[in-house]
Amino acid sequence: SSDEHKLNFKKSKEACLSYIQDALLQKQWKRAAEFLTCYIESLEKDYSREHIGPSEMIWRIGTEILWHHSQSSMKEFNCFMEQMKTLGVKRYLKVCLEHVFHLLCNGKIDEAYQNLSLAESWRFGEQTAIQDKEMKLIQAYRGLLDYCSWSKQKNILLEHGEDEFSDLAVEQEMHGYFRKAAVNLKEIIKVPGVWDVFVKCYVDLLEFYGDHNEAHQVLNEYAYNSKFPANPNAHVYLYQFLKRQGESKKSLISALKILHDIVPSHELMIDFNTMLQKSKKRKRRRLGLEVIFAALDYAGWKENAKAWSCLARQVKQIVISEKHLDWIKQEWHSRKDWWPAFHFSRYLAKRNWQENKSLSYEKALVAGILLGKDCKYFKYVSRQGCKAQLKRFRMLKKFVNRHNLTVYLRISG
Amino acid sequence: MEFPAVLFPSYFGAGPPGEEGGPAPVAGWGEHGQVLDGGPGRRQVQPTFVPRRGSTGERWEAVDAAAVPVLLPSAGCWIPSPARQDILYRSDLCRKLRVGKSGATLDFARQLGHFFVDHPEDAFGSLGRLLHKNFHLGNSQLKRPARNSTIRMTALVEDINRLEARRGCPRGHLASRLRWFSHLCRDWLFEVPLGLLADCLHEELVQQWSNLLFDDSLTGGALAWLCPEDGGTPVGRLVHPGGQAMNHLYFQDMVLEELPRARGSPEQFELNGRIRQVSAARVDGQDFVGVRSDYHCGVWRVPGKTGAAPAPLQVIHTDLPASCLTVSPHLPGELSVCTQSGTVYLWSVETGLQQLRHDPQTMFFRDHSPWRWSDFTAHPRVLSYADRTGLQCLDARAPKRCHFDLFKVGEEASCQQGERVVLPMYLGRAHPSQYLVTTQFSVYVLDERLPLVPVLKWAHMMKAPPLFAHLTPGKPGGSHKVLLGTSCTQELLLLQYRDSFWGVSSGGSQLACQLVGTPQKLHNIAGCLQHLPTQLPHRHHLLQQRLTAPAAGLTATLQEDGSYKSMLIFQLSEAGDVFCQRLNHKAAQPSAPPLRDEATTAPGSSPLFEAPASSPQGLAAALRYRRWLRALSRACREPPRHTWLPSLSQRRLFTHRDLEGPAGPSSPQRQMRQRLRQTMQEGGRIQCWEPLALQPPPLPQTLEPTGGPDPLSSRLTAAWVGDWEQWWEERTSFSVAQRQRALRERRRRQKRAHGYRSLSASFTSSLTYQSELSELSDMGPSLLSPGCPPILSQEGSPPPNSPPVCSLPTSPAPDEALLSSQSLRCRGIPKERRKTLRDYLSVWAEGPPEPPEPLGSQASQLCIPSSQSQLSSASQPRRKRPRMGF
Repeated sequence: SSDEHKLNFKKSKEACLSYIQDALLQKQWKRAAEFLTCYIESLEKDYSREHIGPSEMIWRIGTEILWHHSQSSMKEFNCFMEQMKTLGVKRYLKVCLEHVFHLLCNGKIDEAYQNLSLAESWRFGEQTAIQDKEMKLIQAYRGLLDYCSWSKQKNILLEHGEDEFSDLAVEQEMHGYFRKAAVNLKEIIKVPGVWDVFVKCYVDLLEFYGDHNEAHQVLNEYAYNSKFPANPNAHVYLYQFLKRQGESKKSLISALKILHDIVPSHELMIDFNTMLQKSKKRKRRRLGLEVIFAALDYAGWKENAKAWSCLARQVKQIVISEKHLDWIKQEWHSRKDWWPAFHFSRYLAKRNWQENKSLSYEKALVAGILLGKDCKYFKYVSRQGCKAQLKRFRMLKKFVNRHNLTVYLRISG
Repeated sequence: MEFPAVLFPSYFGAGPPGEEGGPAPVAGWGEHGQVLDGGPGRRQVQPTFVPRRGSTGERWEAVDAAAVPVLLPSAGCWIPSPARQDILYRSDLCRKLRVGKSGATLDFARQLGHFFVDHPEDAFGSLGRLLHKNFHLGNSQLKRPARNSTIRMTALVEDINRLEARRGCPRGHLASRLRWFSHLCRDWLFEVPLGLLADCLHEELVQQWSNLLFDDSLTGGALAWLCPEDGGTPVGRLVHPGGQAMNHLYFQDMVLEELPRARGSPEQFELNGRIRQVSAARVDGQDFVGVRSDYHCGVWRVPGKTGAAPAPLQVIHTDLPASCLTVSPHLPGELSVCTQSGTVYLWSVETGLQQLRHDPQTMFFRDHSPWRWSDFTAHPRVLSYADRTGLQCLDARAPKRCHFDLFKVGEEASCQQGERVVLPMYLGRAHPSQYLVTTQFSVYVLDERLPLVPVLKWAHMMKAPPLFAHLTPGKPGGSHKVLLGTSCTQELLLLQYRDSFWGVSSGGSQLACQLVGTPQKLHNIAGCLQHLPTQLPHRHHLLQQRLTAPAAGLTATLQEDGSYKSMLIFQLSEAGDVFCQRLNHKAAQPSAPPLRDEATTAPGSSPLFEAPASSPQGLAAALRYRRWLRALSRACREPPRHTWLPSLSQRRLFTHRDLEGPAGPSSPQRQMRQRLRQTMQEGGRIQCWEPLALQPPPLPQTLEPTGGPDPLSSRLTAAWVGDWEQWWEERTSFSVAQRQRALRERRRRQKRAHGYRSLSASFTSSLTYQSELSELSDMGPSLLSPGCPPILSQEGSPPPNSPPVCSLPTSPAPDEALLSSQSLRCRGIPKERRKTLRDYLSVWAEGPPEPPEPLGSQASQLCIPSSQSQLSSASQPRRKRPRMGF
């Protein structure tokens, strides 16, 4: 019966697909290609209502094979892509985008640009939400390529600054690129998302033409709009922008404070700590200590010598001045039950000593102050340091011994 | 670790997933996802772009054509988990009714019947004992005084048998007699009220069925590899479960040669339940191994030195099944535990359990699954907490206040409808702030510094949800390898990703995470079946059943020797088999043709066995297979009948009154009984039931120096009254030295007595000497493991390892008169029991049983903790029934 026939056709389709899948997963591109030519038949009776139909499967599998097949060429790939674009209306933009990506990754920038322009002018009935998104992406990538051209022109202009006559044409061309890029880039960064590349380019353009207000606004929006994800880079870009603009310390600190709140382990926290340590305000120095302690809580910072030296410096200052020992006490309170095992074990003392002497010096200083001179880490490192006749380790021992009782009792008490 | 300066572009939306879902067979192919330029604004001719997916990765090629067994199969046959056909109702009628409906019909009645037959004591114990006298099972007519209080059950039994024969017949009318009986006794006959029992059974059946569809208790996998501290040496330690009930934890030292080889015997721990998960982490040069079973979690410490013994540290007991146990990679002796009620604990060996969260509801939307998971994050005090709907991070110092969402099944990560979290894993060894989350459709890499937005997403296209994952971190700048494994389909997939690539043109700042290379399918255990030599059909079936058992764990290790890099991947199956395969790293040769011809890996060809001599590696693998197959067939061979000691309970064979006889003992009977008792007291034996005149010369006096009853008779007496266990315990506490002394003393006396004793008597005494010897040698195992006396399930049965010398007759001792149906009938022993009795007695008459099994197999028999009844039913020839958790 016809029903059975349909069923069998479906079955053989599925079997063929599983063979292809198997071949792809074992990197047998030739075998996969042979099966794919059989699978093309499935297009004939495409009754499927699954969300990935045969035409999309053929596009996906074919692309994957052509990426890896030893005998495929760019020309063949382009040809295949053009065919795939006509195969399904719904996926036209998606296939275009992927085609462009492939061209870009292979350095075919101009071809990619042409494809983007073509895709942009494509219209078919009413756009779905997904197509709308894809269209915006296409425009944004075109904007990005315009930006690249602009930046190329800009570099030419900067290099040949003295030759005025030829510059005029180049300059005009450059401004043209600017306009095209700015329009497209501006559009996509209004939509919630992660648009690091586009935001960076757009801000660069605006800054070049002196529109600092707009740039500031864009960055503020990108960092603080609650509809956007909590992207640390948004805050970093804002901070860098403010720094470039020579903004006041206060605004820099407030930008970094927010970054500290969302990502305490960000690498800018060292800069932040240095900035705060230098401050005359007590509150900021207090915050600085908090920042560096918080950063060192993270596993990624465990062996960061720079961070340890920041902490060591600040802690040492506090101990020498004998003021604000309660700051250390407060910070230490929530850490005393796990920092010793996490940072100051004997095993780590050995390893740090072997791998990085200056790290072990800074850590030993902190350990000596926080845990007293009987701490395993301090004992091991100072003994090794004295054995190796290193002067600063002897100084360290002396320092810790001198301040030991007063400090340790007050911290732990 | 720096945060990438530029991330790949992506849209961000909030809310429930928009994309219509469903398994998509090829959804992961042919997409670059997005591209990122290596850094705009630099002085160069052209910007370079990198894709999110599609860059070339490292090339890893399998050495063998199939996975190779690592360990020999353990003794004792594997008991497969229940299969679909075991718990589904099989009937044509039902199949017809079900057409078009998706629901499956569970065969409830059959399972209840199994329970009654397999566990009569639990089902009807006390009433069965009470009513024993009132049920008559014989064919004979009941006599008058008995008829008032006794029912004849024979007809009823026949009815039941007839019903059994017509099983499945829809029009099978119940016999009225049966209906009458069931009306009468349904309310009081059962030990557990029938309604309650049925509820429990139904619950269990539904549970078993959902486990069959998707068993998430195995999440995480029960296999771990511990590298030695000094890295370079090619040794390591495999931690895996084993034993028939998978309740033994093994720490097996391995030497990594071409094929990994076990070195020495493993450290072994017997646990109190089936091992579901083994997780391990290295802190401060020591490995901490967490082991999860349903209601218990334990932690072991393994020093980093090679050959150091693992030490158990602590065990916790949970009221509800634990669903997750992970070991902290930051602090020694810290673990996180989740239970199915939605409670997550931070477990520290020093300070105990700290409850971080308790919420039976799921986090982001309602989902029925009680599965919960938890892992560690970059911050040692912050734990992740997952259910099927997403992941949250909790600060252990203030879990109620400080938490943030890390992953949501929703538009945020552009999930599909119906997508659910299957396994989250902290990728700390590759990158301190990255996380892997697998769902049934996709695999995500998350960065906790950018919550909710996956830094990487790829549709993995596996046929079942990946329950196991393993990370092999690469060198800085290199790619990290992630292995994903599924359970019932045994799939293994190798992915490579780079947590950061160094932008050439961006001045060396870190760029975003990308998936590199193509995903690669690895050999699974079942894949070797096609390479194995042809077997007899039933062997083939057994082998197939064994090799296609669901996977239960996965681990891998990287071996580096200069420029030569290879990866060993171990896969564990539910049957306890560990298979491994080696992948060799090939230096990048972009245009080189594939080294191995594609045809060799096509299905149907078996280079593993056809041309083993072509490479030494292939030969080793083939040899390994032969050994494994041989061991398997040895282990799974049906045990010959006679090695299984008959274990019968005399208690139920006769009641006290049966033995008393119908009308009071006659005088010869009384005489005989007296004689029997006396002989038993003396520890002797009765040659024949002839009058006293023909008795052999009297046996030497009791020889036990203590003067108490001799061991044989006390043992018999103990066995007779049923507290044989206690006797054995007392016995084992008796010191060996003392016994040896006694033995020597006895031997001396016997020698002295030799002169005046007849041949038969000397035979008897040397026989008892033998039995003493065997008892002594039996002290061995029980002294070695004082915690587990050899107990068999049936009460009153002889010990498995001491032959029942006591009743060994050298002549056809059970007297014909005793066995004749006449005499049995006149003792009131019903007809069907007469047969049993005769069988029983003839068993002892058959001559000495086989010597006990070798020690190893004995131990494995004796240490099965809970499913004792399972063991005994396993010895029966009929088809094993699914274990139902009773």
